[in-house]
Amino acid sequence: MSSSEEILKLSRRAAVGSLTAAGLGFALFGPRGGKERSDGRLVLDYWEKWTGLEGKAMLKMVDEFNRSQDRIWVRYFSTNAIDQKTKVAIAGGNPPDIVGLWNYNVPGYADTGAIIPLSDIDCKPEHKVRLERYATGMRPVMQYGSKTWAVVNTGGCLALYYNKAHFRDAGLDPERPPLTIAEMDLANHKLTRVKPDGTVERAGFVQMEPGWWSFPWGFHFGGRIYDDSTNKTLLATAPNVAAYEWVQSYSKRFGAGDSLPNAEEAKNKQLNSSSLEQIEKFRSGFGNYDSNLNAFLAGKISMVLQGPWLANIIKAYQPGLDYGVTPFPTVPEALDAEHPVGLIDTDIMVIPKGVKHPEACMEFIAFTQQQRVVEYLSNVHCKNSPLVDVSDDFIRNHANRGIKVFAKIANSKNGFRCPPTRTWLQCKDISDALMQAVWTQKAPAAKLVADAAVRTQTILDEAASASARRGRPATAMVGGGNS
Amino acid sequence: MKEQPQASRAEQRNEQRQNLAGWLWVSPWIIGCGLFLLAPIFMSLYYSLTDYPLLEKPLWIGTENYRRLLNDSDFWLTLKNTLIYVLWTIPLSTLVSVGLAALLNRARARSLFQGAIFLPSLVPLAASAIIFMWLFNGEYGLINRALGVIGIEGPAWLLDRHWAMPAVVLIGVWGVGQAVVLYVAALQDVPEQLYEAADIDGMGALGKFWNITVPMISPVILFNVITMSIGSFQVFVIPYILFDRVKGGPDKVAYFYTHYLYDNAFIFDKMGYASAMAWVQLVIVLLFTALLFALSRRYVFYRGA
Repeated sequence: MSSSEEILKLSRRAAVGSLTAAGLGFALFGPRGGKERSDGRLVLDYWEKWTGLEGKAMLKMVDEFNRSQDRIWVRYFSTNAIDQKTKVAIAGGNPPDIVGLWNYNVPGYADTGAIIPLSDIDCKPEHKVRLERYATGMRPVMQYGSKTWAVVNTGGCLALYYNKAHFRDAGLDPERPPLTIAEMDLANHKLTRVKPDGTVERAGFVQMEPGWWSFPWGFHFGGRIYDDSTNKTLLATAPNVAAYEWVQSYSKRFGAGDSLPNAEEAKNKQLNSSSLEQIEKFRSGFGNYDSNLNAFLAGKISMVLQGPWLANIIKAYQPGLDYGVTPFPTVPEALDAEHPVGLIDTDIMVIPKGVKHPEACMEFIAFTQQQRVVEYLSNVHCKNSPLVDVSDDFIRNHANRGIKVFAKIANSKNGFRCPPTRTWLQCKDISDALMQAVWTQKAPAAKLVADAAVRTQTILDEAASASARRGRPATAMVGGGNS
Repeated sequence: MKEQPQASRAEQRNEQRQNLAGWLWVSPWIIGCGLFLLAPIFMSLYYSLTDYPLLEKPLWIGTENYRRLLNDSDFWLTLKNTLIYVLWTIPLSTLVSVGLAALLNRARARSLFQGAIFLPSLVPLAASAIIFMWLFNGEYGLINRALGVIGIEGPAWLLDRHWAMPAVVLIGVWGVGQAVVLYVAALQDVPEQLYEAADIDGMGALGKFWNITVPMISPVILFNVITMSIGSFQVFVIPYILFDRVKGGPDKVAYFYTHYLYDNAFIFDKMGYASAMAWVQLVIVLLFTALLFALSRRYVFYRGA
C-alpha cells in the first residue's frame, strides 16, 4: 500500500470516526427544547396569534405575570397560522402549554380531545373559571357540551359604524342611525351616489366589505343558521332566504345612474352586466383594512359592519373621522333595544392535551382573567371586555366612542356566534361562496341559498358519520347560545 | 499454498471495509431519503385509505376517500380550474419565452436583457403577489391605467369572474425568466451551417425559425414544458395571496387543486382525504407527463438520433 493510500485510508477513517462522534455528541449533548431555568421555575410555553401593538400588550401581560410570582415562568411565542400549527404540534405530541386560538376552534379541538376541559382541571379554587363572571354572550363561546373548555382573552362583537358627516350631507340625522332594515335601506339610498354614466362614487352600505363575515345577515332577519341539538342547517329557512334576497337587492341597486330606495323594487330589477362591472370596479378600489385606503376611512362607503377594533385603525389613519356606532339594524320583529342582535367573535385561550402542569397553566390563565388585566388588554386591542363587571374608567378611556354599544351586545341574550360544529370552517367556505354568488347575481338568492343548504347538510352528515365511526354523537351540544 | 488464502481473506476484509465505508458515506442520504421522503410517501398512501382528522388516530376506511372524491363538486371544480390554468399557462409561457429568447439571441446587450428577464424569477412569490394585487386593481391599477391610455376600459380583474383567471395566467407567464435563459443557451447551440444552407435554399426568416430553430431546440422545449407543467399543476402561492379576502376569487374561479388539498389537510381536518387528493394529483401529473413524452416521439428531434 502506498503512503498516499494509507493517508487516504487514515483520513477516511478519521473522517467517519469524527462524523460519528459528532453525530452522537449532538444527539446526546446537543441543544434541547429544554424548559429548565437556573432559578428552578417551572417554564410554560404560551403561543399567541397576536403581533404588533396587540402582541406587545400580550407580552407586557406575560412579563407582569412572571414578575408577580417566583414559581412559574411563561415564555411568549408569537405564532402565525396558529390554529394549523397548534394542530400539528398536538398531533406530533409536542404542544405548547397554553395557546390562544379563535372561538370557532373550540368544538373541533374539544370533540377530538385535543384540549383539556378547564372545568376538569384540579387547581386552586381561586384559579377556577367562574362562568358567571363573563358577559351573557361570551359564555356559550367558552363551552362545548356541558364543559368549559376556554376563557375569552379579549371579547369582540360586531356593530354598524356610520359616517356622521355623510349622514349630514345626505340630509339624515347623524344622532338617529337606522334601527330597522327598512330604515337602513332608506339611508343607503340617500347616502349612495352614482354618476349618470353608472360610475359609483359612494355607497351607503356594501355587505361585501370587509367580507370577513358572510353569515350574520339571517340573524338580523330573526333567523338562525344551525340547530346544534339536531346537527341540522337552518340556512334554507325563510329569515335566511329573506336576508340573502336583501343582500342581493343591494348590488342590484347600483344600476346605471340610479339607486333604488326600496328593497322590493331592487329585488325585481334586472341588473345588466355593465352595472355589475361598475360595482365591482368600485369595490376593487377598496384598500386593505389596516390602511388609510380602508373603504370606510376613505369615505367610499358610509356604513360598515365591523368590530370595536376598527377604532384603532381610525385613530391611526383618520383620527378626525366623525363616526357613530349602533347595533346592526334588524327587521322590526327582532328589534330589542335592551338586547340587540350582534355577532360575538372572540379570541380564546385553551390548554392542549398532554401538558404536564395544567394546574400551573390555570394559574397563569387566572392571572390573565383578572378584571384589571382583561381591561388593559381589551383597551390596547380596542375591544369590549368579555366580563360582566366593567369599570367606569374602561368605558371612559376606551378608544372606541361606541364601546357601550359593543358592551351591550356582549351582554345581550340575542348575541350570536358561529355554529358550534367542528365542520364550521367547511360550512363557512360554502357560506362565503354563497355570499359571492348572491352579490354577483349568479342566480336568484332563494335558489342559491337552497343549494348552499344542501351542501352544508352534506358536510354535517359526513361529519356525523365520521363521529359515529369513532363512537361519538354527531354533536356534543345540548343547546345554549344562538348560532 | 498457505499465503494465498491469507491474501484473499485480507482482500475480502479490505473489500468489506471499503463497502462499509461506502455505506457509511451514503448513509446520511439513505437515512434522510428514507425518513423524509419514502416514509412520508408510503404514510400518505396509507393515510389516503383512512379517516385521519390529524388530531385523532387514523381509522381504516378503505377506498372511501377516493370514492367520495368522485362526488365532490369542489374537487371537480378545482381540478377544472387547475387544468384551465395549465392549458393556458404552458402554451403562453412557451410562446413568450421562445419569442423572447429568439429576440435576445441576436440582441447586442444580451446579458443585460437576459438578466432583466430573469430578475422576476428571483422575486419572492409573496412579494410578487402583493405587487400584482395593486397592478391589477380595477380602480387604481397601472394595468388599467395603461389600457385607459389606448382607450380601453379595463375590468376589475380580481373581482370579476371572467377576468380573475386570465389575471392569474398572466402572472404565471410573467415568471418565464428561467425558461428564457435555457432557450437562449439552446439557440446559441444551433449550428450556423443549417441557417447558411437555408439561406442558399432561399428560405425566409419565419421558415428558418419554424424548420430549423424550433426542431433544434425541441428537446429544451420538452424539458421546459414538462417542468412548467409539474409546477403549474401545483400552483398555490400567488392566487392564495391574491384572493385572500375571498377564497378562490369570484365564484371560486381561481380556487386551485393544491388550495383545496391544503384546506382539507390543515383547515378542514381531513388529512386522509387530502392524502387521497395528493395521490390523484400524482397520477394526473404522471399521465400528463407520459402524454408529453408520447408526443415528443413525434415532435422532438435529438441531434444524435
